[in-house]
Amino acid sequence: MLDSDTQAFLQTGVSISLAACNAARLACMSRGMGCKVLDGGRRMAIFLKRSQSLELLDNVAATGKVACVFSLPSSNRTFQLKGADAVVQPFDPADMVVVNHHIDEFVQEVVPLGMAEQVVRAVFACTADDLVTVVYSPSAVFSQTPGPKAGEPVGRAS
Amino acid sequence: MNVRLETIRECLEGIIPGHIGTCDAEGMPNLAYLSQVEFIDNEHVALSYQFFNRTRQNVLAGSPVRLLLTSHLTGAQYRAELQFLRTETAGPLFEQMKAKLAGIAAHTGMSGVFKLLGSDIYRVLSIDQVVGPTVAPPPPPVNYLTALRRAAQKLAGCANLECLLETALDSLQSEFGIGHVMLLMHDEGRGRLYTLASRGYPESGVGSEIPMGVGLIGISARERSPIRIGFMTSEYTYGRTVRDSIAAEGYADTLETAIPLPGLPEARSQMAVPILACERVLGVLYVESVADLHFGYDDEDALVAFAAQLGQAILHHQQVDEVEEEAQSSDTAPPVPAGSPLRVRHYGANDSVFLGDDYLIKGVAGAILWALLQDFAERGRTEFTNKGLRVDPRIRLPGVSDNLEARLVLLQRRLEERSAGIHLAKSGRGRYALTVDRPLELATD
Repeated sequence: MLDSDTQAFLQTGVSISLAACNAARLACMSRGMGCKVLDGGRRMAIFLKRSQSLELLDNVAATGKVACVFSLPSSNRTFQLKGADAVVQPFDPADMVVVNHHIDEFVQEVVPLGMAEQVVRAVFACTADDLVTVVYSPSAVFSQTPGPKAGEPVGRAS
Repeated sequence: MNVRLETIRECLEGIIPGHIGTCDAEGMPNLAYLSQVEFIDNEHVALSYQFFNRTRQNVLAGSPVRLLLTSHLTGAQYRAELQFLRTETAGPLFEQMKAKLAGIAAHTGMSGVFKLLGSDIYRVLSIDQVVGPTVAPPPPPVNYLTALRRAAQKLAGCANLECLLETALDSLQSEFGIGHVMLLMHDEGRGRLYTLASRGYPESGVGSEIPMGVGLIGISARERSPIRIGFMTSEYTYGRTVRDSIAAEGYADTLETAIPLPGLPEARSQMAVPILACERVLGVLYVESVADLHFGYDDEDALVAFAAQLGQAILHHQQVDEVEEEAQSSDTAPPVPAGSPLRVRHYGANDSVFLGDDYLIKGVAGAILWALLQDFAERGRTEFTNKGLRVDPRIRLPGVSDNLEARLVLLQRRLEERSAGIHLAKSGRGRYALTVDRPLELATD
C-alpha cells in the first residue's frame, strides 16, 4: 500500500507514463492524462488517450503487467510503480475533473521551466470519449530520482 | 520507418525528457527517463550510460528497446524502436556526450550525480508518430542554408589569410547572428591552440592559448569533433580549466596565461567546431551565448560545413602566400625615428619578447619579431618575405606545416593592440613591411 506522502505526490503536477510489453517483450508506452489513487493506496487508476494507446492497451489486456513512472520535473523526484493485475476499463466522464485538474497542475509545473503552454496543452489535449482507464495494484515501488540509489525498491505494496 | 530522425532532432535535446521502455525476462516492463539522446545519423542514436540500472540490465539481457520522444516545439510525440549495438567509453562521441551531459547535469541540479560511463549506441529500427494534435513550430532564428551560402560566397572572395579571418568572423555575426566568436589556430609543434581573432568581447584575447585537450575548445580539437553544451557548467569553464591544466602540467612559465582568453563569464551555451583540412586540425571555431540551448543541431551542422570551407581556404592561403624572389633591402635606410626610445628585450629560452616591461609575444612569433627588429637595427631593413623568414635559421619554423602566415597575422595584431610604435603590414603577396615609429633599444638574455 502506498503511504500517504507518496499518494499525495502522485496526484500533483507530475509527468505520468505507463508501459506494457507484448509477447516479444517489446514495450509500448503512453503519457498519462492524470491518475487517481483508489482504495486508500491499494490500487491506481491511470487515464490514457485510447487513440494514442492501442498497442499499449492490447499489451495490458494480454499480460496485465505494467510499469508506470511519475516524475515531478522541477525536482526530478520520480517513482515507478509496477503491477501485474492491470485491466483496461471504460473512462468515467466524472473523472474528467481529475484529468483537467492534473493538466492545469502540470502546466503550472513546467511553464516556469521554460515550456510553451500551448505545446503542453497540445500534448494533453483530450476529450472524455477518447479516454480509457487502466487500473492496477502496485506490487512494487521504486525510487527513480536520478542518482546512485535510483531503481532501489522503496517498498512493496501489500 | 515513417519519420526521418534528422527531421525531429529537437526531440533529442532533452528539453522534454524522452522515455525508454524495456522488458525483463518475466515480461515485466520497465520505464525510465532519458537524460540524453545523441543523434549520430538517421539510423543510429546513442544513449548515455550513467548507472547500471534496470534498463541497462534488461538491454544487456536482450530486451527490445522502445523510446517515446516529444518535441518541445510542436508537442508531437514519436515512438522509436531501437536495437542495442555496443558501448563506447572514449573518443569523439563519448566526449560530445560527456560535455553535453555536464551541462544537463548542472541545469537539472545533478552535477556530481550524472557522470557518463559510456555511450550506448543503438540502431534505429523504426520511428512512428503518435496520433494527436500538434502546434506549428516557431520559425527558425536563421535560414541556415541561406546563411551558409552567403558566408561561403564571402570566403571565396578573400585573397589572403587576414581577409579570410576577418570575413569568417564577420560572417558568423552577420549571416548566422552569432555575437561571440573566437578563432583559434593550432600550433602543432607545441600542442597549443592560440587565439588569432575574436568578435564580441571587450578584449580581443589575440595570442591567448589553450593546451590541446583542455576545455571544450581543446577537447574539440583533440577529438576532431564538434562539441556543444546547452547549459552553463563549471566543468567546462575556461579560465579555471586552463589554469588547472597548466598547473597540473607543472608549467612554471606564467606567460602561458599572460594573455587572458576572451570569453563570456556567464556563457550558458557553448559550441566548439574544429577547422579541419587534409586530415589536419588547423584550428577551432568557438561560439557562445548567455542563453540556454542557443545552439542546436542545425547550428552545429551549419558551422561544421562552414568550418570545412574555411579550413580549405586557410590551407590554400597558407600555401600560396609565397614569392619567388627575396625582397631586396631598401637602398636607403629609413629615417631614424625621433622620440623616447623603446626598450625591446628578447629571452632566447622561449623566444619571448617584452616591450618595456610588458609581455608581447613568445614562441615562433616572438622569434620572427626579434629577427625583423635585428635586421632593422643593423641594416635598416624594412621589407621581408615569407620565403625569407621560412629559411631564416634564427626563426626555427617547425617544418612544412608551420602556419607562418597565421603567426604573422598574430604578431601583427599583437603589435597593433599594444600601440607600441612597431607595425607590421602586408605589402604584397608573401611580403611584409616593418615600420618603426620610435628609436629602439634591443637587448637579449
